[in-house]
Amino acid sequence: MAERRAWAAWSEWGDLALDALREIRAHKLRSVLTLFGIVFGVASVVSMTSLSSALEDMAYDELQRMGMPRTFRLVDRGPRSDVSRAEELRHVGLSLGDIDALTRLRGVAATFGRNFAGRQLASTELDQRVIPIVGVDAAYLRFRNWPIVRGRELAPLDIMNASRVAVIGEELVKPFFGSAEPIGRTIQLDGVRFRVIGVVAPIELELVPADFSFLARRIYVPYTYVTRYYRGRRRVDDVMLKVADDFDFPKVMLAGATLLRQRHRGSEDFEIENEAADLASDLAMADNVLAGWSIVLFTIAGVTLIVGGVGLFSVLLISVRERVREIGIRMALGADGPDIRRLFLVESMILALLGAVLGVAGGTGLVMVTEAIAAGFGRDFFVPVHLPGAVAAVLFALVVGVVFGWYPASRAARLNPIEAIREL
Amino acid sequence: MPLIEARGLTKVYRLGRVDVPALRGIDLEVHEGEYVAITGPSGSGKSTLMHILGCLDSPTSGSYRLDGRDVSGLRGRALAHVRNRKVGFVFQTFNLMPRMTTDENVALPLQYRGGISRRARLRRARALLERLGLGERIGHRPDELSGGELQRVAVARALIGEPAILLIDEPTGNLDSKAGAEVLKTFREVHDAGNTIVLVTHDPNVAAEAARTIRLVDGEVAA
Repeated sequence: MAERRAWAAWSEWGDLALDALREIRAHKLRSVLTLFGIVFGVASVVSMTSLSSALEDMAYDELQRMGMPRTFRLVDRGPRSDVSRAEELRHVGLSLGDIDALTRLRGVAATFGRNFAGRQLASTELDQRVIPIVGVDAAYLRFRNWPIVRGRELAPLDIMNASRVAVIGEELVKPFFGSAEPIGRTIQLDGVRFRVIGVVAPIELELVPADFSFLARRIYVPYTYVTRYYRGRRRVDDVMLKVADDFDFPKVMLAGATLLRQRHRGSEDFEIENEAADLASDLAMADNVLAGWSIVLFTIAGVTLIVGGVGLFSVLLISVRERVREIGIRMALGADGPDIRRLFLVESMILALLGAVLGVAGGTGLVMVTEAIAAGFGRDFFVPVHLPGAVAAVLFALVVGVVFGWYPASRAARLNPIEAIREL
Repeated sequence: MPLIEARGLTKVYRLGRVDVPALRGIDLEVHEGEYVAITGPSGSGKSTLMHILGCLDSPTSGSYRLDGRDVSGLRGRALAHVRNRKVGFVFQTFNLMPRMTTDENVALPLQYRGGISRRARLRRARALLERLGLGERIGHRPDELSGGELQRVAVARALIGEPAILLIDEPTGNLDSKAGAEVLKTFREVHDAGNTIVLVTHDPNVAAEAARTIRLVDGEVAA
């Protein structure tokens, strides 16, 4: 029985929608003009939320690209000067053995050792300059998304043999080798002959304000070479650990530090640098900035929608006045006040919904135009329509329809049937 | 028990500070199956009486029982519901919805009764139109129909809800004599089928159709 009543209620809404559509179709031009505000409001919400979410994704991507998700670093910090306990005084130092042990730790996907050899004299037949030399691990450049534009990067064999091979920064190619091919050529670093095996370029970021151009002014050699000829005693400056995806990041970080402490017989001679956490806070900051923008955009779009609502309001008042006689007839046939109010409210909601649908289409069009313009500038800028934004805009338009339709509809409902019929 | 039982009906309109009496105490009884005409010159109160009898308005004083129920105290929604179930109106100017087809027009009162599906409503409307000889006009819009046909569609709309009384206001005012005769014939058929008709007119020829005539003068029933 209740089911049947519910069905009847739904079918009643269907009747009202049919009446409303008939009325809208009879006044096509007026209806379209009425909807301008709502169409623009919804279109701006849809396009703005789509664009801002696409930009957000791009910025997020870049941060991911420059950063090192799920990594942390263990850094040798040298003997402390302010220690009181005897064992802390004894500085053991990070070693190649530590790296081997850490590599075998559960949950560690990869380790990358690093040594700074400092600024050293680099020279070829063409030029000589003082260049920062960095000892890195195999595949480290690729792991950091620093593109190898020529040749190859350091391989495990280079690390094992502490080979005298170098990957040079892109900006160093011209001064050291002119226009000749640098791969396979020789460069002297601190008086030792190295073979150039690759050229690395800085990563390019469009949205994140970070300068990585220093990457192109450095020379990268196997970190084991730096250990052997600069540090001695198998020492390493720091090691980066990548945590496997299916392991808990903080737990692995803790396990790594514990292992190192044990191996150093309790000495706190290293620091943990959680660059992933720093990255996360950068991302959160970017999110905050974008959230601020979203509020501004939503306010503008909201004002547009409300202006659209005022248009709807005035047209509905006109419509009620025009249809006084029709209202009177409906009342004579037994329509009560709420019936008449629903008649106009549904018309208002359908108009608003129609505006919202047109607005979503328009907003999608705007987004596509933006993509086309970006493509015209040779940029690949994919902007998917932001669904939550579109849904919110449509719902808000419906609310506007109800709010601004309420007064005209109630006015129609309060008409006196005798006076309404007398308008003959 | 009479279908309509009015006792001492008065209606006073307030125009600014002046009270204008439209009805000055009407006693009226209409029994089931009667065909009654209410006549009188303009300003005699016959429209006001029709509005009260049709539950479009309520009397200032007096009692009105329609189909056994006192409706003189009802207002607003309650009155609308009585109107929907008990009264069928036929207006002088037909008053069909121009954007609806004939069957949709006829089905309209059932929409306000609630609980009847659109399909069922239209089925009943079409059956009734067939019965009134308007089967060929189903699906047409009012602007495609002649005056006489329009008035018969209006009659169908008044009858669809199976009301206690049919209230007809100046049915031939907007029709030529041929169409007028056609419409009067329809009323007779409807009356013969057992419906109770109250017809308001100032045309003596139309009033002559009815079995009984009540003449109003200055808001009172003339002797």
